Amino acid sequence: MLKLFTAFLKINIQMTLAYRAETLTHILLNLMWLGWELLSLSIIFGNTATLGGWGPGQLIALLGVFRLVNTLMAALIWPNTEKFNSSIRDGSWDYALLQPVNSLFLVSFSRMVIWRVWDLVLAAILTIVGLSMSGGGTTLLNLLGFLALAVSGMLIIYSLWIVLIALTFWFTKFDNNVTILQALLDAGRYPATVYPLWLRLIVTFVVPIAVATTVPLQALRGDLNGLQVLLYLVIGAASFFFASRIWKAGIRKYSGASS
Amino acid sequence: MIDAIVIENLSKTYQVPEREGGFKAAVRGFFRRRYKDVHAVQRVNFRIESGEIVGFLGPNGAGKTTTLKMLSGLLHPTGGRARVLDFTPWDRKREFLQAITLVMGQRNRLSWDIPAADSFLLNQAIYRLPDAAYKATLKELDELLELGPIMRKPVRNLSLGERMKCELAAGLLHRPRVLFLDEPTIGLDITAQARIRTFLQEYNRRTGATILLTSHYMADVTALCERIIMIHEGKLKYDGGINELTHRIAPFKLICVTLQDGADCDLSPYGTLAPGENGCKTLLQVPAGEVAAVTARILADLPVHDLTIEDPPIEHVIERAFNE
Repeated sequence: MLKLFTAFLKINIQMTLAYRAETLTHILLNLMWLGWELLSLSIIFGNTATLGGWGPGQLIALLGVFRLVNTLMAALIWPNTEKFNSSIRDGSWDYALLQPVNSLFLVSFSRMVIWRVWDLVLAAILTIVGLSMSGGGTTLLNLLGFLALAVSGMLIIYSLWIVLIALTFWFTKFDNNVTILQALLDAGRYPATVYPLWLRLIVTFVVPIAVATTVPLQALRGDLNGLQVLLYLVIGAASFFFASRIWKAGIRKYSGASS
Repeated sequence: MIDAIVIENLSKTYQVPEREGGFKAAVRGFFRRRYKDVHAVQRVNFRIESGEIVGFLGPNGAGKTTTLKMLSGLLHPTGGRARVLDFTPWDRKREFLQAITLVMGQRNRLSWDIPAADSFLLNQAIYRLPDAAYKATLKELDELLELGPIMRKPVRNLSLGERMKCELAAGLLHRPRVLFLDEPTIGLDITAQARIRTFLQEYNRRTGATILLTSHYMADVTALCERIIMIHEGKLKYDGGINELTHRIAPFKLICVTLQDGADCDLSPYGTLAPGENGCKTLLQVPAGEVAAVTARILADLPVHDLTIEDPPIEHVIERAFNE
């Protein structure tokens, strides 16, 4: 698997290098967006000291985690969806199925937007700066909880994505599958606790986006007890399990009906 | 000899949404879909020995591609069974996928923006090919297909013929033992077609691979295949040698006669006059058994400048077989 991942990575770097101007523009655009987001945060805190109980440092850290998830979307999920949708339309998906590789792995990693690496660095810096701004008191256990929950949160988003693209097997034309996901994800930009309770429940449990952004930070703040952390980890594993089942059913459906 | 491919009563029925034309029908169809069964493949049987090259013929929509897709494991059949190299294709076992290839002339697997050589390396990783084996195969394919300069150019800059060579190479790097080729020469010029043909012949000779190939170009079929399998509307129409088919469907030969300048004789007593082709003045259709006698009589009776005897063109034979 690792060898194949490296091979995909190489191919994608080669494809990126084929278009130089595009890469440079993207890096600049990203810096601009980051400035814009920090500006809007400073406007909010110019008017209020806390937002739903979260201070500026913690919100910057949240923005970091949010951008991390967003980078995952932009670097992997978007390009792979685009490729997947077009390969279903033009029939080259057949070639994907002919390869002796796990089809889920293939659909997830065959495209990578390499210049997003800068985003990852920015996201990490934001998270670290935000954390140090919000002061000490972070224990190693909290940090571990944060890391574990961040991984499981991404797994949940990834699972959601798998389900959405698997729907393409049932409805051949479903190109806006990931627009839905992005719209949901945007709700994770602010801590779920600023939303009214009913919306918070939807965002956390029905469509578990907050699980990927707010929850890891709550663990870092020490707001969660062990049982809650465990619960979220279980949700992560379960959602991946169900998503891969749906994916398999989708492939069966595809090979039953396409012509 | 062992059979590489065995299919028994293989069937595939699609459900296709169907509606009348017009706006009202479209709205009605949105709420209540009506489906129609399309029997793409119906109880087809055949077996192909290991190492054979078989032409798989049929008009558009006959079920050729559907059959190839079932044999390569992309589609589940609605009935019957199939074994390819002793695997059930649609289980899509790793060992099975490692041993077959499907090349479709109308679809591409190579990445557009990078040279084919880079896509080949990706295939090496996907098929887990050891370096030495990969290099040896690539060298051999390079020799046979003359890939040298073309595999280093971005695929989008290649001509159709060059791209097809690369597509074939990409499909063969893992040295599959069974090749399913769906119109591998489509859209290519005569020279490129001939190249691909020679390559397939040589590949088959060197590796003993089994090849099942569809094509609309009869030259592909006559050059490569001794045996053809014909399907029409999902049903098996013919399975056997090309020559046997010609004997059965068109048991006659064509005698092309060119008389000496100025001579103008009526040839109709010698056989049925057929429309002349290829600059042939007079074309006579004569029952296969009487060719020798008729030829002798023409040569004795008439001032002949030139005379040739030909088999009926395979296109005509195939067309007649489908309309039978």
